[in-house]
Amino acid sequence: MGSRIRENVKHFFECFCEVVPPTGDKAAWIIQQYPDKYKDEEVLKAVPNFAYPYKFENTVIQHYSFVLTDLESKWTFGFCRHDPRGETAIVVLSYLPWHQAFYKFLDNIAVLMTSPRSEDLSEFLSAVYNTKLAEAGKYFTVPFNRGESNFSVEVPKPFQLPSIPENRNLTEYYNAVDSHNMMIIFASMLYERRIIFTSKKLKRLSACVQSANDVIYPMIWQHIFIPVLPMALIDYLLAPMPFLIGVPEEVMKKVQRHEIGEVVILDADANTVTTPFDDLNNLPQEVITSLKRQLKNKSALLGDGVSRAFLRALVQLIGGYRDGLRIQEAQKITFDQEKFIETRPVSFQPFLREMLHLQIFQQFIEERLAMLNNGLGFSDEFEMETFRYSVQSGSKLKQQYKDWTSTMKKEGSAFFKSVKEKANPAVKSAVKTVKDGGKGVKSAYRGLRSRLKENQGPQQLQNGLDSPSDKPRSAPNSPTGKRRTFAGISVPTTNHRKDTALSFKSSGFERSYSPLSPTSQPMSPDGLDNSRSGSPNLEFPRIDLMNEMKDLLQLRLDTPPVDRSLKPVRSLENFKQHTSPTSHSPDRWVFPSRTGAPMASPPKRFFLPNQPSSETQNLLLQSPDDVFSSPPVPPRVAAKDLFGTTPFVVAGGHSENGDPLFLVANQHSIDIVKLSPPTCSPRRKPEDMEDLIRLDSTSDTDDFDPLKTNSYSSSAPLSLSNPLYTYENHTTKQNGSVQNRNDQDLLQEYGLDFSFTSAPNQQIFDPFAGTSASNKVNSQSQWTRFD
Amino acid sequence: MARDYDHLFKLLIIGDSGVGKSSLLLRFADNTFSGSYITTIGVDFKIKTVSLDGQKVKLQIWDTAGQERFRTITSTYYRGTHGVIVVYDVTNGESFANVKRWLHEIEQNCDVVNRVLVGNKNDTPDRKVVLTEDAQRFADTMNIQLFETSAKDNVNVEEMFMAITRLVLRSKQEMKERQNITQNETVNLRKSNKQGKKKCC
Repeated sequence: MGSRIRENVKHFFECFCEVVPPTGDKAAWIIQQYPDKYKDEEVLKAVPNFAYPYKFENTVIQHYSFVLTDLESKWTFGFCRHDPRGETAIVVLSYLPWHQAFYKFLDNIAVLMTSPRSEDLSEFLSAVYNTKLAEAGKYFTVPFNRGESNFSVEVPKPFQLPSIPENRNLTEYYNAVDSHNMMIIFASMLYERRIIFTSKKLKRLSACVQSANDVIYPMIWQHIFIPVLPMALIDYLLAPMPFLIGVPEEVMKKVQRHEIGEVVILDADANTVTTPFDDLNNLPQEVITSLKRQLKNKSALLGDGVSRAFLRALVQLIGGYRDGLRIQEAQKITFDQEKFIETRPVSFQPFLREMLHLQIFQQFIEERLAMLNNGLGFSDEFEMETFRYSVQSGSKLKQQYKDWTSTMKKEGSAFFKSVKEKANPAVKSAVKTVKDGGKGVKSAYRGLRSRLKENQGPQQLQNGLDSPSDKPRSAPNSPTGKRRTFAGISVPTTNHRKDTALSFKSSGFERSYSPLSPTSQPMSPDGLDNSRSGSPNLEFPRIDLMNEMKDLLQLRLDTPPVDRSLKPVRSLENFKQHTSPTSHSPDRWVFPSRTGAPMASPPKRFFLPNQPSSETQNLLLQSPDDVFSSPPVPPRVAAKDLFGTTPFVVAGGHSENGDPLFLVANQHSIDIVKLSPPTCSPRRKPEDMEDLIRLDSTSDTDDFDPLKTNSYSSSAPLSLSNPLYTYENHTTKQNGSVQNRNDQDLLQEYGLDFSFTSAPNQQIFDPFAGTSASNKVNSQSQWTRFD
Repeated sequence: MARDYDHLFKLLIIGDSGVGKSSLLLRFADNTFSGSYITTIGVDFKIKTVSLDGQKVKLQIWDTAGQERFRTITSTYYRGTHGVIVVYDVTNGESFANVKRWLHEIEQNCDVVNRVLVGNKNDTPDRKVVLTEDAQRFADTMNIQLFETSAKDNVNVEEMFMAITRLVLRSKQEMKERQNITQNETVNLRKSNKQGKKKCC
């Protein structure tokens, strides 16, 4: 199957290593590791190379990740932390791609390494190693420091499209690379080129490479994948096969360009792509046009807007794979390539023919067929997006599939081997996805639909989302019509935006929050309750956030003049005037706090007493408007880990072309997220004006509402087979009776509910346990009614 | 830098894991102690320079991890290569089935592939399940040379590598003769795919 993420992961991490840098002609080496029983010699031999991919001077604390690939082509993630004050690098190997969580983990380890009590570190590592992973969406919490502190990270939900700014990799990619270049890389990946990313910053490098793979979801890069290539492995750039490799600038300098042949190169520092191909223009024009338009609409890109734009492009391209499915009674479902091509719009056909020769596409099909043949149905985010996109073919197919699963079931076929283990999460996720799919889709998709109509897009779009032929219960097909079915039912969601809004309003914070001002130190250790922290002797390492921020600013702010007519509450310009009166060049800002004081995080933040951290969770800012109208206020700092896993906006301002900028603080750095305001800038060029006018007139007919888009996605359709997240445990929720009823309706609709007659809160579905006669009869009688 | 070879050929070795690809490479390559990265980055290559008809040919032979997960290996995988060494394990019928499927795929998507079929682990007759006759019959229908090798006992390994090298060298020379060397490298994919076919096939 296609996924390269391991499933059924037992431990939070596999191995921790401390690596001594190379000196003279002595290579880097591992000075200590935990647990000792980790014995993969090849991996242990490789780790020092990846921890020090080349000889570099370390001036700031930096985190990055690298990826190892084993013999089965599964990935192991290496998270690495360099500290200029330490003489070593620390590395954690894990099968879980939870970047945020592991950077936090590394920081925690770094603090413990300086602990006067030497057992602290090993106790912590062993506690984390031996603690069972929490379910998705819950907190994985491990007490340490003799019970006085908690290490706590949220287990990512089974399915979420990567969001800005929560997903640090995508945020980094989006900041470094403009949307046009992202599209070129996207297209190059769809042609399975040999692709090199380069940057002088390891963090940016590896984030960009990994995000590039994330945005081709539901496909997964099947070829050589090395987000950070150590100098020692430079010859691997000679590989004749497709690859996606991150090459640090220092390594890139040693590359003999003529030797590596035809290759696409993205310089993530300069935001340039050099390619001998014209891949982007060879994509079907409709797809490019719509993708371009979505990526231009910057106000919709906060949240999962970027990911969703690419997902929609892929829905347009390959969502129609369903029309190529051959569903015959009592046989495995197969995929007919010719049938698929023939049912596509003529303008798509040449490209799709090429696409059949892609490994990533073939694996995608294999994976979908496996899902279907296992009775898991259409249940992930891609399928939901496809249903929204193409209603009629969707419902026809759904009926066909329903019939098929029904027949298969009656015959007690052995096809559904893995159903026992998998059906429950699948069914649940289908239901959840369906249910959530209705929300927010209306406005979002009206826009897309009308645009695509204008564009003479693929025919099935014409079928409309509110096609009258839809039966009231087929919610996912017809959000406009069916959504009401669920209107009265309260669905527990994790809507960050709502929560945040609430917490901002109700928490009664009085102090205004100005982390960038040297006088205000909301994160200052002084404000913390020292008596409550466990180890007063520990000193927190200095993370040079300012340096990171400066880098970003230099990267992003060297463009056209600032439009001051807009209404930033806390403009970066003000900040600049306050703090560095000597600096006149807008792209050379000097920050007063290079020495670190104001931005330094609280030294004791890892040792805060156990407290629920819902508020930290909710610090995420609402929308561009919120930035301007209500500056974020800090939570009660004394009790919270300010840099939890959730990034939050600490300031808003403007880039010089008038786009609002948000400074998004993370645990390790501050990123800038660029957005267009939802208002019309007088300095816009005419073509931009058009866009903005359209933006202003959004109401519910045209544009995507970034809030809605995000909120329905963050309410997490649990997905079964999201290749990005297959490692996760699926939450089995005990729902209230009302909701359960509702679930069942939907399940029936999907032909997926095999045995809901069993106790409502039964945890494990056993759809084909034909051994129990009574159960079987029951299921049969309750089986989906075809009308 | 002066080139120490007349030709550089990039070859792929494909086959299920466990059929002995690495052993074949180790047996053949110049420096068997250069270490392997297949278990850490999922890709590995070995180099050997051979003399053929008085010409020095440098071979790079590439291997990637986890190919058995592919029902088909698509043409993009072969795009940049000169020849393919297709390996199965004579003691493992499934590995032969996979290989047959992949070869059919190459046949469909590339015009002329330089390729050889290799039945490795041909050293324990008791355990042999893929009979020579069956393999040979299949090889004939695909118009492809069959070698039964043993990396362990170093049987037929050298011959097999020389055979694929010879094939690649001959097709390169034929191509030259046909004066078919002008290539526009920056054409769009539809065209470049055809070039790719010539190159990989």
